[in-house]
Amino acid sequence: MCSGSNSIIQAQKLVDQLQIEAGMERFKISLTAADLVQYCQEHRRSDPLLTGISASSNPFKDKKTCVLL
Amino acid sequence: MRSPPIPEMATQEVQLNETLAHLKTESDTLKTKLEEERAKLHDVELHQVAEKVEALGQFVMKTRRTLKGHGNKVLCMDWCKDKRRIVSSSQDGKVIVWDAFTTNKEHAVTMPCTWVMACAYAPSGCAVACGGLDNKCSVYPLSLDKNENLAAKKKSVAMHTNYLSACCFTNSDMQILTSSGDGTCALWDVESGQLLQSFHGHAADVLCLDLAPSETANTFVSGGCDKKANVWDMRSGQCIQSFETHESDINSVRYYPSGDAFASGSDDATCRLYDLRADREVAIYSKESIIFGVSSVDFSLSGRLLFGGYNDYTINVWDVLKGTRVSILFGHENRVSTLRVSPDGTAFCTGSWDHTLRIWA
Repeated sequence: MCSGSNSIIQAQKLVDQLQIEAGMERFKISLTAADLVQYCQEHRRSDPLLTGISASSNPFKDKKTCVLL
Repeated sequence: MRSPPIPEMATQEVQLNETLAHLKTESDTLKTKLEEERAKLHDVELHQVAEKVEALGQFVMKTRRTLKGHGNKVLCMDWCKDKRRIVSSSQDGKVIVWDAFTTNKEHAVTMPCTWVMACAYAPSGCAVACGGLDNKCSVYPLSLDKNENLAAKKKSVAMHTNYLSACCFTNSDMQILTSSGDGTCALWDVESGQLLQSFHGHAADVLCLDLAPSETANTFVSGGCDKKANVWDMRSGQCIQSFETHESDINSVRYYPSGDAFASGSDDATCRLYDLRADREVAIYSKESIIFGVSSVDFSLSGRLLFGGYNDYTINVWDVLKGTRVSILFGHENRVSTLRVSPDGTAFCTGSWDHTLRIWA
């Protein structure tokens, strides 16, 4: 009977989990997507990979530097 | 003469089957209800909401540094908060700390196992965590003395019953989150090695995880071989949301910078975006010409760009809002296995099976 009661425990867990997920409050994509877009727009100027910052401000880009001999 | 069946056992079995059948019906009903609820909110596509957003121009991104030194496939890397140091781990059993500006190696540790699949930098910059086929996650404090043997101070923190696939410090050096081939994720106290919380729910190996960006959020997302991405409450151990739209293993998950969404990369050759408040997938980043799996994904600082490292040796750059590819980057000579954008967003680093790491900007 051990495997039988295990199956029941598993099945009950699944039902409990689904009940938690079903009870969640959800919002329409038109609203949530608007927030995603807004975040991008608000932060676009401070995104170096997006705007492409100059060599002088990006430590990884090569600059024309003087060499100290 | 036939012996009659023992009455008690027969009734028990019947009851068992009835209960199981009842539970099955209940779970099926709930699953259908979930699908209906999610469908109701699908009133528009993300790229439609983003129609008025300016299109992106041409991107010129090149390899600016190549880090050479590993003797075999690079499997994982992580940035230090100082935006210049990087830790990487490899199939050769070595974990190396690099200064990405100069490409110098600052520390190297040889692990007792090969396939070090996971590594992470501590928030303080004073330690690194790593693990893989040893089923453990160990923390190595980084010494200022280059001659000191780092392995001597090693602290074993996590113990899983299968390989360690990913690890990540939480907001401090004191706790580590791990994911494993044993199908679970776990939260550990670094000092004592104590298990603080375990997360059960994946039906197969968990391959990746990412912590929610906000300090108050207390959630993380994980992805696995069961094709599911699960969002977890760190305090209760409860799975609070689950997404199953990928058609194969999920190799990488990464939160959108606002914390309201996350991206995933899969062996099904697609990246997807899941909106946490709408509780559904809202974008798929794919092309017919892209047929190889995605190993790792990360967002640029504003969330507008999604970088994906692929098994066909390339990096595809996607416009997150419009769903289109804006660039494809070549350079690696084997699979890209790991990819992370630097903390200040000035560059991103990739690690590859070609034994090297590259910094792109």
